Amino acid sequence: MNSRRQLFTGLAALAATIVIFVLPFLFIFLTAAKTKQDASLLTFTLPQQWQLWQNFMDVVSARDYMLLLAYFNSTVITVAAVALLVLFGAMVGYVLQRRPSRWNTLIFACVMIGLMVPPAVVPTIWVLQWLDLFKTRTGMVLIQIAYGLAFAVLLFRSFIATIPRDLDEAAIIDGAKPWQIFFRVILPLLKPVTVTVIVVQSIAIFNDFTNPLYYLPGRENVTVQLTLYNFQSQFGTEFNLLFMNILLVTIPPLIVFIFFNRQIVAGMTAGAVKG
Amino acid sequence: MSRTKSPYPYWFILPAAVIFTVLFLVPTLASFWFSLTRWDLFSVEFIGIENYRQFFREPFLIQGLFNTVIYAVTTSAAKTVLGLLLAVLLTSGLWGQGFLRTVMFFPVLVSTIGVGITFTVLMHPTRGIINVALAAIGIHGPGWLTDPTLALYSVVLVDVWKGIGLATVIYIAGLASISPEYYEAARIDGATRTQLFFRVTVPLVKPATVTVVTLSLIGGLRSFDLIWAMTRGGPGFSSDVLASVIYKQYQAGFYGLSTAGNVILFALIAVIILPLTLWFNRKEVEL
Amino acid sequence: MARVVLENICKSFGSVDIMKGISLTVEDGEFCVFVGPSGCGKSTLLRMISGLETVSSGRILIDGEDVTYAEPSRRGIAMVFQSYALYPHLTVRENIGFGLSLARRPKAEIEERVGKIAETLQLSHLLDRKPKALSGGQRQRVAIGRAIIRDPKVFLFDEPLSNLDAALRSQMRVELTDLHAKLKATMIYVTHDQVEAMTMADKIVVLNGGRIEQVGAPMTLYNEPASPFVAGFIGSPKMNLYDGDAAAREGCMVYGIRPEHISLSATDGKWRGTVRHIERLGADLIAHLTVDGLGDLVARCPGDTPMVIGETLFASPVAGKEHKFERGAIG
Ligand SMILES: Nc1ncnc2c1ncn2[C@@H]1O[C@H](COP(=O)(O)OP(=O)(O)O)[C@@H](O)[C@H]1O
Ligand SMILES: [Mg+2]
Repeated sequence: MNSRRQLFTGLAALAATIVIFVLPFLFIFLTAAKTKQDASLLTFTLPQQWQLWQNFMDVVSARDYMLLLAYFNSTVITVAAVALLVLFGAMVGYVLQRRPSRWNTLIFACVMIGLMVPPAVVPTIWVLQWLDLFKTRTGMVLIQIAYGLAFAVLLFRSFIATIPRDLDEAAIIDGAKPWQIFFRVILPLLKPVTVTVIVVQSIAIFNDFTNPLYYLPGRENVTVQLTLYNFQSQFGTEFNLLFMNILLVTIPPLIVFIFFNRQIVAGMTAGAVKG
Repeated sequence: MSRTKSPYPYWFILPAAVIFTVLFLVPTLASFWFSLTRWDLFSVEFIGIENYRQFFREPFLIQGLFNTVIYAVTTSAAKTVLGLLLAVLLTSGLWGQGFLRTVMFFPVLVSTIGVGITFTVLMHPTRGIINVALAAIGIHGPGWLTDPTLALYSVVLVDVWKGIGLATVIYIAGLASISPEYYEAARIDGATRTQLFFRVTVPLVKPATVTVVTLSLIGGLRSFDLIWAMTRGGPGFSSDVLASVIYKQYQAGFYGLSTAGNVILFALIAVIILPLTLWFNRKEVEL
Repeated sequence: MARVVLENICKSFGSVDIMKGISLTVEDGEFCVFVGPSGCGKSTLLRMISGLETVSSGRILIDGEDVTYAEPSRRGIAMVFQSYALYPHLTVRENIGFGLSLARRPKAEIEERVGKIAETLQLSHLLDRKPKALSGGQRQRVAIGRAIIRDPKVFLFDEPLSNLDAALRSQMRVELTDLHAKLKATMIYVTHDQVEAMTMADKIVVLNGGRIEQVGAPMTLYNEPASPFVAGFIGSPKMNLYDGDAAAREGCMVYGIRPEHISLSATDGKWRGTVRHIERLGADLIAHLTVDGLGDLVARCPGDTPMVIGETLFASPVAGKEHKFERGAIG
């Protein structure tokens, strides 16, 4: 192939990608550094006056430090939900893969339902109210587990299929109880897929807007995405603060992405090869 | 004398099963009942299929249904076609392709609300960068989000912008699993590049296509947060989809009607995804 | 007295009967080898003894105790798997000590016992490695170490050498035999390789299609095979076996003669044949003949026997070494 032509196409693609995919993020960053008047022009220019720190402090302290509370809530929900998701998902994937039985069809049907069917929101609220879990972080955590299980089970099941059964049997002969086989032999071997599940689900749960909107209304339970959404109506004119908020919401996934690029892609493309 | 117990006890499934049943299956089943009721903060009253009747009588609700289909079909068509083309481009040994992949994938991970707000500003009819840039080359840009005939498609564009990276990455994984021998064999047979693409790449990358189409259709049919962040279903009801209708009816206290919307959304997904899955699987057998 | 007694063991998977009534006694301290073609149920039988597989009917006694329904870890057995089944995330030290650590033994005791076993198996310098960083032979020894530390009454081996190359395999055969001599424990060893069976066993159990064909010492099986199947299975090259008219002429259902029990002559003999193929192995020579009225005949003679392809030769059985079976068929 013609290498000069390749270089040219490469540069053209690079330029187009930068315009389409990088400029919006640059715009977020620049606007987040501007003054209120400057930002309200919505122009794509360098700030007349850089005040990144000032805007940061303003956003954080706005509405009685609501953003900090939101970060705290989102973190607690994400960590708790992902930890239990990994544990419960791996346990189901393990039994599903290791013990063929007529239950498996039922479990598979549930997994497919969980992947495809949108949650019935109002009846879910009704159930949560009945359990006294509506508007609670516990309720939110359980919801996120319920909605993330199908994905986790599928990923764990296909990974566990690659772990030889001989290991379970060696452990049985060594005197391991069922839970010891799982926790001391299988779970440590699931590390690669566990990292994938953790990373993908953390991002999904941290970025989730719809579910907290329905199930976690109320000021004291506010999450990061809800805060951002509320700021939009509240700071309708203060674009510098709004975009500072967007910038802050974008940074956690960016950090995760930098460190776990490979695992994220592996998790999200699982199934692309085999169908 | 008891038989030895299985080392894979069923109670391992129990925690997951309880959570999934109580918080997913029960509400889903209950929704069929609640959709047949007039349900508000105070009471539940059985009214038969009245909610569904109302759903198909009110023009804005019907529009929501149509918009949902349009939104899902256009986003997934665009993601499938562009995703495959970009994947081919980004595996052709292009200069800087690793960087391009990374940059295109990143929006997948960014908060939808953040993206929505950002593009709302970029699409501002007079001061937004998009129209300012268009004006600079002498084009009078449209009111992306203010024109009722355009608003839905503007959101579609942003959805494609945000999701194209995932489609591309899935296709790249699919392309990587095609043995180069097929290309070599076809080239020895004298195939042109276009023929290679349509006769080798497209059929052999089918598992990835199935994944991309299924994922983006399901995602598109359920889509809520981007639309909500950008237009709240407006102007008027022009960009309402089922998910936003469900939310609006819920907010207005029409729980029964909202739940009926939910049931219609299940039905829509079932009607679109199930035949598609069967069709994909049937073609697999033929191969 | 770690005798292993199997009483009329049957096993079916669904509607398929895999084991059809196995009764067998393995004496204390014996090295017993289960041998048979692939798929004949050797692993299944071993796994039933270990408790990894349930029995459909019958009884298993170890050391006089009925363990038919006991947990694997309560049977006083240890098992070495074909794949070794070492825990990949644990070091050699942790692999060997895993069972003790599950039983919550004190750290010092585990450390001491692991150390002692590592020394006998020459693994001391490898204790902190992960299995991935070991050679095939070393992994094998770790697997054996993990078995020894359980201090079992019975060792069970399922084709433990089949993943090793030929040289290492014969070395490990010697090591295992030495180990047996040193530990004096009962060992049950599964293989499909009759050479392994002949070289290592005190007692060989030949299995075929879920049944025991014959039980006996290696030389008993070689000299007095009870069935055409055993005759064909034990010994290399295989015994020449004939049925139909050729056997009828000898007055039996199946007639057999081992290659090493055939004498060749240029001038006269019982059968007249043509040399079709010659394998020169150095010390020995394996001649493949086509014999009138018999078909193919394989004969083993000294390596320096002069012979050319196409030559006509006369073959005769060595007196008293013929095998005449009244029942059975050629497998
Ligand atoms: N879990 C099982 N389910 C059904 N059939 C099995 C199972 N395990 C083994 N078998 C069958 O039992 C027979 C004996 O298997 P095995 O004991 O592994 O043979 P060997 O070890 O002698 O090669 C084989 O035909 C095999 O297909
Ligand atoms: Mg076997």
